[in-house]
Amino acid sequence: MQIDALLQVVISGLLMGLIYALVAAGLSLIFGLMDVVNFAHGELMMVAMYAVFTLWQMSGLDPFILLPIVAALLFGLGMAIYRLLIARALSVRFNRGMVQIFVTFGLAIFIRGFMQFWYGGEFRSITGTWLSDRTLNIHGVYLPLPQVAAAVVCLLAFAGLLAISRTEFGRALEATREDREAVALIGIDRDRIFSLGWGLGAATVGVAGVMLAGFYYVSPNVGANFALIAYVTVALGGFGSMFGALAAGLLIGEVEAVTAQLLEPSLKQVGMFAIYLAVLMFRPRGLFGKI
Amino acid sequence: MKRIALAAAATLALAGGQARAADDIIIGVIYPLTGNGAPVGLDAKAAYETAADIINTTHAAIPMVMGKGGGLDKLGGAHIKLVFADSQNDPQKARAEAERLITQEHAVAICGSYTSATGATISQVTERYEVPYMSADNSSPSLNQRGLKWFFRTSPTDETFSQAMFQFFKDEAGKGHTIGSVALFYEDSIFGTDSSNVQRKLAAEAGIKVTADIKYRANSPSLSAEAQKLKAADADVILPSSYTSDAILIMRAMNEIGYKPKAILAQAAGFQESAYLTGAGALAEGVMSRSSFALDATKARPAIEPVNALYKARNNKDMNDNTSREITALLVLSDAINRAGSAKPEDIRQALIKTDIKGADTIMPWNGIKFDATGQNIEGTPVIQQITNGAYHTVWPFSVAVQPVVWGVGK
Repeated sequence: MQIDALLQVVISGLLMGLIYALVAAGLSLIFGLMDVVNFAHGELMMVAMYAVFTLWQMSGLDPFILLPIVAALLFGLGMAIYRLLIARALSVRFNRGMVQIFVTFGLAIFIRGFMQFWYGGEFRSITGTWLSDRTLNIHGVYLPLPQVAAAVVCLLAFAGLLAISRTEFGRALEATREDREAVALIGIDRDRIFSLGWGLGAATVGVAGVMLAGFYYVSPNVGANFALIAYVTVALGGFGSMFGALAAGLLIGEVEAVTAQLLEPSLKQVGMFAIYLAVLMFRPRGLFGKI
Repeated sequence: MKRIALAAAATLALAGGQARAADDIIIGVIYPLTGNGAPVGLDAKAAYETAADIINTTHAAIPMVMGKGGGLDKLGGAHIKLVFADSQNDPQKARAEAERLITQEHAVAICGSYTSATGATISQVTERYEVPYMSADNSSPSLNQRGLKWFFRTSPTDETFSQAMFQFFKDEAGKGHTIGSVALFYEDSIFGTDSSNVQRKLAAEAGIKVTADIKYRANSPSLSAEAQKLKAADADVILPSSYTSDAILIMRAMNEIGYKPKAILAQAAGFQESAYLTGAGALAEGVMSRSSFALDATKARPAIEPVNALYKARNNKDMNDNTSREITALLVLSDAINRAGSAKPEDIRQALIKTDIKGADTIMPWNGIKFDATGQNIEGTPVIQQITNGAYHTVWPFSVAVQPVVWGVGK
């Protein structure tokens, strides 16, 4: 393989890996905070994609400008889901784990069905924006601009998440994660922290959804294509670790790109699952997991 | 006493309602109505409903089989009643729904089902319960090679389609444009695998080199690795067999790495969907696809315009490769039921075997409809179309072409 072709593989893996990482970050955040696996995570991303699609269609504005609006919408949606569903599910006495699984799983199916009802099942695409379908050619290595923009935004989002972890709210998140009973004693409102955590998790995947919508089709099932990879990313990186999500996302992106070149493309997920299983054997808590 | 009177009234009302319903011929229709295949399934639903309307209601006669309306005349004007079921594009759910339609809903025949993988399981159930399965749009050549007695398919198969593609290459070579190599790009279910098997064989026979043979996972988050392989091979023609989501994605993935293919000739499916045309936009200019339908063949097929108007009124879009075949399947099945003069599955099967409809009596550009011993229509002759200015136009066979072929993809 020639050097430019090899570079192209590495870059494709990197660009896709950053998207995987950001999708996984929100999932990891919620899990790390309260031990709830959100099975509707991919659907939240899908909602963000439809939100940006609808706003784009109505206003004609570029997804970039719409990004903060959709992130805010998703933040509100995440908080609402916590208040209306998750908080109730956490309050049951028996089989709490099962109830949590079913409530987010049910939510996923509901959102998917609702979106199909509301928008129909058609595949939608955002076209004709500043960056759509544009590529940069650097000596035979091509950089698709929508993906590059998505990668930059992903890195900024990770920087933002790290910055948040340094604030008082971030420390309260961390404390709640460490010992959710004790924080109540020092005057931290656990419910408020949880609901903000859900808001933040949903907004994060919302940002990923908006950037993805710049180069990917939008459909009620689009979340499912990414959700499985997000779960593997979180488990590989370590539950609750932001840095783990970033590292694992990049690793999965690269492994996928390389596997597809070495084996036949239909087997490209084999590589990532092989690595996941290997990590699980030697380091069950994931690469950067603390728990 | 009052209660008895009420019950009696209710029974009467029910009986009254059923007097009409007793005449209805129940046909089960299985498509993906939710999930990834839902866009196609919901269009299919509209197509079958349009066809049922044409058969059942009174209207100005349309010049085609079952086009005069007013129900099935040999069955006292009985109506076709459709019962839809959702396969979610899952072969096992399709199997369960087929069983339910036959045993619970008493369907006398089943139509389906878009993907070949679901068609395969449905036709096993219909075989066991001995009711006809009318395959409208499953295109895998292997489906009618399984020795089934109750399987009928109006549509051409991917074998016929692929043969047409290679005949097209030959005809083009005769005009001075030689095709020396092809790249196969196909999804990993029965549709993609069967289609590529035939294409591989035909390429070998025609002495055309296969420079890439890429099997990929359907609904992947990314197809950039696949696009890189296509770029490295840079074949004269890429032959994709893909559903809608992947069709949109591969066009973008090729553009993202700066690859402009010399030509793309698709095994229809996703490439024939309107979502593909909008999703791929200018990137899709010049893409070719086989089709079993030619919307622009209105001169040779006068029924296209009135049928399309009815379909458009219901679903707000033109008929396409899939919906036209779905309408045709129900018309052909109903014609058989009418000729049988009976709703008994065995009588319907006998009538289907004797089907002999001329192409001009349909909305399809085919020679006609006539089933061989395996239940395959042997008169279904495909066309090849090319996207220019965002819409498909027929370019081959040259006899029905509305414009010449232009080589090159993308604006």
